[in-house]
Amino acid sequence: MQRVRLGIIGLGYIGKIHMNHSLKLPNIDLVAVSDSSKKALSEAKNAGIKKTFTSYEQLLHESDIDAVIIALPTHLHFQCAIQAAEAGKHIFLEKPIARNVEEAKGIVTAAHNNSVKLMMGYHLRFNKTFHELKTKMANGILGDVEVAYATFISSGPFFHRSESNTPLPVPDWWFNRELTGGGALMDVGIHIINLLRWYFGEIKQIKSHLGYRFNLDFEDSAICLIKFESGTSAVITAGWFLQGYQVKIEFFGTVGHAFAQHSTKSSLRTLAQRLTLSVPEFYQPHFNELRYFANCLIRDSSPSPSGEDGVKDLEAIYQAYHNNLHLD
Amino acid sequence: MSFVSFVNIQNDTVNSMKQSIINSLDLIEYSFAKETKNVVIKPNMCYYWDYTTGQTTDPNFVAALIEVIREKISPRTNISIVESDASAMKCKYAFKLLGYEKLSQDYKVDLVNLSEDKTKTTKVSSGGYDFKLQIPQTIQNADLKINVPKIKYSVPKVKMTCALKNIFGCNPYPKKFKYHPQISEVIVALNKALNFDLCIIDGNRVSGIQPRRIGLVMASRDPVAIDVAASKIAGINPKVVRYIQLAANEGIGTTNIIHRGIPLDYYKAIYPKRGIQKTLRRKAFELITTLGLNKKLGLE
Repeated sequence: MQRVRLGIIGLGYIGKIHMNHSLKLPNIDLVAVSDSSKKALSEAKNAGIKKTFTSYEQLLHESDIDAVIIALPTHLHFQCAIQAAEAGKHIFLEKPIARNVEEAKGIVTAAHNNSVKLMMGYHLRFNKTFHELKTKMANGILGDVEVAYATFISSGPFFHRSESNTPLPVPDWWFNRELTGGGALMDVGIHIINLLRWYFGEIKQIKSHLGYRFNLDFEDSAICLIKFESGTSAVITAGWFLQGYQVKIEFFGTVGHAFAQHSTKSSLRTLAQRLTLSVPEFYQPHFNELRYFANCLIRDSSPSPSGEDGVKDLEAIYQAYHNNLHLD
Repeated sequence: MSFVSFVNIQNDTVNSMKQSIINSLDLIEYSFAKETKNVVIKPNMCYYWDYTTGQTTDPNFVAALIEVIREKISPRTNISIVESDASAMKCKYAFKLLGYEKLSQDYKVDLVNLSEDKTKTTKVSSGGYDFKLQIPQTIQNADLKINVPKIKYSVPKVKMTCALKNIFGCNPYPKKFKYHPQISEVIVALNKALNFDLCIIDGNRVSGIQPRRIGLVMASRDPVAIDVAASKIAGINPKVVRYIQLAANEGIGTTNIIHRGIPLDYYKAIYPKRGIQKTLRRKAFELITTLGLNKKLGLE
């Protein structure tokens, strides 16, 4: 395989980002897309994608597709991923892997039984500064990291908040816990749980305090205390209340201290980067993860983060929900 | 000439807001009619933006107003808080997220999604256009209608949002972008048709170029006069805001203000006005949109 023949299922916020990047990557041939929105499909056609489908089942029947990106709402992951695996398509699945652990394990089993590769979409794992942090740890520059702080706070599903001119509608499924599996911890907290597992290994215990500022049936903020089997303790904060996007990681080791972040740049800077660079700085991790996924398929190597990682991250989230400290 | 009052809020408590609302109404010599049975309050619930952004009316400010109404009229006065669905916002979520569902439970007031209310069709002319507007029953039945807007910048065509523009949210039709080609005329037509009695601006936190607590309450019976004052505070010449001028021409109110309370210039000095960077950014975005590059650049 020289180039991966790709299909994208779902052209929402993240699906469109993957579509734009797929069109720029030399190791990907974007063959087809599917979405229930005719407007989104029309935009894809205008971007040069020849095959567009209103149902993903049609896309999965196409024989000239090697792999699919599944960028659907969480409650549709299970059914779609199972069908993709059974159709013999390698899978790049957006986080969270599924709305519950049972469905998540079903996806991993289906990928294994059908001998298809399964990679989870955790773009922060492909952020340059977070990689540098990993290198510092590996080189012993920090000593033993005793305490880690990790924060991911954004506007969550309520995109286009007050800094924007044109707010976009929030799809109804975002307001239904049955369909999402959870709130801010499930949506953005899972990124930093995955990131910290990458740094420190498996989680021994996790406890949470959940916040409900917006009076929803699920948390819009969460603070978790984590103990890793490696001995490191961590405090993570996830939230949907900020008019912006901030991811910050800070390590305190027995020798040194290190800090890294991923955040939105000013709109003027992003605009300038869109005009001058192929991919703006903020979206570079998304671009890198897709290029890596395609390379894994071309080289026949196992991608990471894997489906098993997706299951472990989800198990940690459910453990955190179960161990809610209920602070007043 | 219309009275417009300017009063400071000492702190963020309901009690402090309540006292400031009472003072602002005293300054415009407003008194509630004792026979009032049904009151409608129209806050600004633009999207799901938290009140701390200055984009939406603080539910605590509305709570303070409810306490004033119940104290001045009767504890049994029926009060409805109204809003309508919009292209990007659904009331059933906005009421919950912005704290109005809790307010409704705490203060025993009704929350009315005007998009689900019964309506009556009314013909209204404005600026040479004729409109058929749906008038919600809850507003028709109210004997006191109070507009509780914010002071905000808006898209270039509208320029600013305050009392007159807030009434655009009483139009029950959800896909409001249909009216954007004649936005000024529709704003004025709705104000003519719905004829709100009183405006009380929640200017405790304002958005501007960035959110800021300026601790302001403004009150007036006249939505044109209060919008003229609000536009001056935001650093916008009211003569360039088309719907304000049109509303004055259509007889909804007057642009001549009688100031009462703290001088307007005090709030104008502390309002987070647009600077050169924001203006340049807006101009750049307008140019990109005009050239049709916004979609290509992912800047929709």
